[in-house]
Amino acid sequence: MDYKYIEQLLERYWDCETSVEEERILRDFFAQAEVPAHLAVHKSLFDYQRAEATVGLSDDFDARVLAQVEQTETAVRARRLTLSRRLRPLFRAAAAVAIVSLLGMAAQHSFKRSATSEGWDYSVAGYSDSYSTPQAALDSCIKVLEFVQDGLKTAVVDSAHSSKISGK
Amino acid sequence: MKDWDFRYDLLPLKDKLFRLAYRITLHTAEAEDITQDTLIRVWNKRHELEDVRSLEAYCLTVCRNLANDRRELHEAQNLSLDGTPCDAPDNADEIDSRMERDERLQWVHRLMAKLPEKQRAILHLRDIEGHSYHEIADILGVSEEQVKVNLFRARRWIKEQYEKIENYGL
Repeated sequence: MDYKYIEQLLERYWDCETSVEEERILRDFFAQAEVPAHLAVHKSLFDYQRAEATVGLSDDFDARVLAQVEQTETAVRARRLTLSRRLRPLFRAAAAVAIVSLLGMAAQHSFKRSATSEGWDYSVAGYSDSYSTPQAALDSCIKVLEFVQDGLKTAVVDSAHSSKISGK
Repeated sequence: MKDWDFRYDLLPLKDKLFRLAYRITLHTAEAEDITQDTLIRVWNKRHELEDVRSLEAYCLTVCRNLANDRRELHEAQNLSLDGTPCDAPDNADEIDSRMERDERLQWVHRLMAKLPEKQRAILHLRDIEGHSYHEIADILGVSEEQVKVNLFRARRWIKEQYEKIENYGL
């Protein structure tokens, strides 16, 4: 097997010309159990680098440091509030005022109306025709119906148009 | 606005911080203290860290500074009474129990411990943690050029030590 590439990498490693990725390749290469004799002398360096990368703290460290953090947290209790959260009570108060004033206005309005208006007059004696002749009444009826007809027509055309567009 | 979470943002960095602190102080208990100190300090300052680009780099910077403070403190305590400096205790012998049996790894460990702190920290961040030159420069607060020069010196020195074994045996 040819070890030219590894030899080259090693040379460049000593000259600090290797990339992080190439240095990883070297570590992986030297992680093998069998390394050719002329390279074996450097195995310990890369073995050491790999071994050291896995060194960590004991498990009880987390518990200790978390306990210390909680201790300082309860003492200070400082929390960061966003602007909207800070203004939330204000919004609530404004909403409450708006609801109460709306209800008040509505109540006032209805009281006023019931006090001033006389209500509907259903008695026959007070009845009078809206139109002077039956023809005038018919004319206005037809006018209203034609208006409705026009409205329906334009609605049909519009919907056909829009379905055409969406069909495309 | 970023809301940091201790458990998810800071705590996962503990092992990395511990390794750097250990590399500088060469003392397990001390490194553990420094890691804890780093995490608590950064956590208490979290509201001021909104413009920090990388929390990890910031933590590593704090950790290195704390570790160096402690190291200097210990070195000052080692001054003899008449003011002449004497050698610091060789903590490099305190080695992880996993490594105890492997003499080759112990040898590399002592080799690295002999490097000056700056070179040692750079070599550690590059070869063990796999950081780019740019990231290391950011952590140490020096130029990338400085990082390269120091790394080059550290590796060249280690290479020389390897050549010595090759030529004359250990």
